Formats: sequence, structure tokens, C-alpha cells
Amino acid sequence: MSYSNQKSFSKDSGIGEAEVTLRLIASLPAPEGLADRVQAALHAAPRRTRVLAWPVPPAGEWLRTAAAAAIVFVVAGGGWGIYAHVQPGQAVPAIAGPRVGAPGGFSEGGAVRRPKTLVGPTVTTPPATATQKSKAPVKTGTTIASRARATAATPPVAPMVH
Amino acid sequence: MSASQAVFSGWMEIPESAVHDQARTHTDRSQAEEETLAALVSQYSGTLYRVAFSVLRNASDAEDAVQEAFLRVLRHRDTLGEVRDQRVWLIRIVWNIVLDRKRRAKTRPETDDVAELARVLPSGGLSAEERAAAAQHHAHVLACVEKLPPKECQVLMLSAFEELNSVEIATVLGITESSVRSRLFRARNLMAELLHHERQ
Repeated sequence: MSYSNQKSFSKDSGIGEAEVTLRLIASLPAPEGLADRVQAALHAAPRRTRVLAWPVPPAGEWLRTAAAAAIVFVVAGGGWGIYAHVQPGQAVPAIAGPRVGAPGGFSEGGAVRRPKTLVGPTVTTPPATATQKSKAPVKTGTTIASRARATAATPPVAPMVH
Repeated sequence: MSASQAVFSGWMEIPESAVHDQARTHTDRSQAEEETLAALVSQYSGTLYRVAFSVLRNASDAEDAVQEAFLRVLRHRDTLGEVRDQRVWLIRIVWNIVLDRKRRAKTRPETDDVAELARVLPSGGLSAEERAAAAQHHAHVLACVEKLPPKECQVLMLSAFEELNSVEIATVLGITESSVRSRLFRARNLMAELLHHERQ
């Protein structure tokens, strides 16, 4: 049984109607000049462009092989050159670099740091010919400064020699 | 020039004849592809148009789809030699294009189909009124076909083409031949029910 016979619809008239309609649509003639219009569209379509315009037509396989061999040669030669110049196990001489100064960027210039100390109280020797008046006990609450003022007010007396 | 230099220069030199041969081969191949494509257009553009029109049901849309199909062929013309059955291959291309367009387009109202069918259907000695009635009837049937599930609808549409057998339909749809037969059986049953329901 051929396929066209298989495709024949059953006795149902509804299916027959559908078949008739679909076949009618499927057998409609193409519009006049369709092929010419498609040809024109194909001619107007942009051709496939190459990313790199090679001036000569594509050469044979051997040219590609030669180019690949040249690249391999250059890379291998460069690697050998580096290997030949740098011998493994060679002691690298130490290089004395410049002295690095302070973090601020200035060197100390040989200066020795001497920390500043505070000016402490000067201890004065009590006068040898101290009178009763002068021997009067100093108030414990007086400060060093007031004692110094009192000393300055009293004329200096030579120390008593025993 | 030493012997080694002579060998090296001879090795590096591209012979003129080789360049010309390759250029000629390239040109010949392009020309052959152009001729093959032109032959495909003149041979199958009508078939592709009918396939496209059966889905899109609009003459200009169908023509656009045919042009797009051949433009795709032009882009892949290098592989033309590998195609075993060019007719089925082209139908498959245009089938995918029209399905894609139909998916994107809005649903066509039945009145559009009536107008288009009245324009394109052969008159066959019918009066204007009879032609209008026939167009309306066909549009109504097509609207019922549209109500079928997509898989069954596609098989039913392709089965209407005399030039496609079940194996070729299977190739176009990318399914097995037994699937084509079972889907066609279901489509016919559903179609009968739909038309019977419409009449009541």
C-alpha cells in the first residue's frame, strides 16, 4: 500500500473536508517571479567577509607547516639562549646596597641622641650663720618656689667653719 | 650563494604556478557553489513557498521565509556537498523558519485567512459569491486545524504535501516514522471530533 493511499482519509466527511482544504493550500502555485526575486536577494546579500584579508589566495598546507616550524624554532632558540647564559649553581655576588636611613627619609648624619632632661630643683646649701629667725622651721606646706624666694631675700652668709 | 642558502631560498619560495592553481581552484569552487545554489532556488523555491504558505497563510510572509531559508543556505554553502537529500533539507530549514515566525507573531484572526484565501484560491469557474463562501469554509477548517495540539497539527499539515512521504516528514520533524504515523492517526481522530462538534 502506497503512502498516498495510506494518507487517504476515512469515510468521515469532516476529515475529508480538512484533507481537501489542506491539500488545496499545499498545492497553491508559487507567485510569478519568486525564483528571480530570491536570486536577486541572494546576490544582494553581503558575502562572508574574512577577518584578515590575506593578499594571496590560501596557500598550501606546507606554508602553514613552515610558519609553525619557524615559530617553534624562534621560541626554542630563545629558551636555549637564556639557558646558555645563566649557568645553574653559580654563586651570585652579594651587592652592598646603600644604607637605608630612617623611615622618614633622612639619615641621622652620625648624630648621637641626647635626651633632654627636665630642669630639676636646685638644692641650695643653708647659711652657716643661721640666726634663730632664719632657723625658724619652715612650714611644711611651703613649696620649693617659696623657699627659693626666701633664700634670695636673705643675704648670703659664709658657712660656719668648725 | 652557498648550497644551503640555495636550498633554503628554494624551500621558502612560493611557486607562481601553485598560487595561480590555488586561486583558480578557489574561484572554480565558488562558482560551482553559486551554480548549485541557483539550481536549488529554481528547483525548490515553489515547494518551499507552499510549505511556508501552509503555515503562515500570507503570501508576502511566505516569500520572506523562502528568501530567509536560501540566505541561510548561502551562509552554509560550504556544507552543501555533505547534504544527502537537499529537498528535505531545504524543507526542514523553511519549516523551522516558519514555525519560529508563527510563534512570534500574534494569532491570526480568521477574517484575515478568509480574505487571503479568497485572493489566492483558484477561481475554477466559480462566481464571486461562491468563491467567498469557499474561502470562508476553508478558513473555518483551517481554524479547526489550528486548535489541534502542535505536534498533531504539524504532522497533519505536512501530510497534505504530496511530495513528502512519511519518512521525509519524520526527517523534517526530527522524529521517527512510527511517531509520524501515530500522530497522524491522533490528528485525524481529533479533527473529526472537532468538525463534528462545530456542526452541532
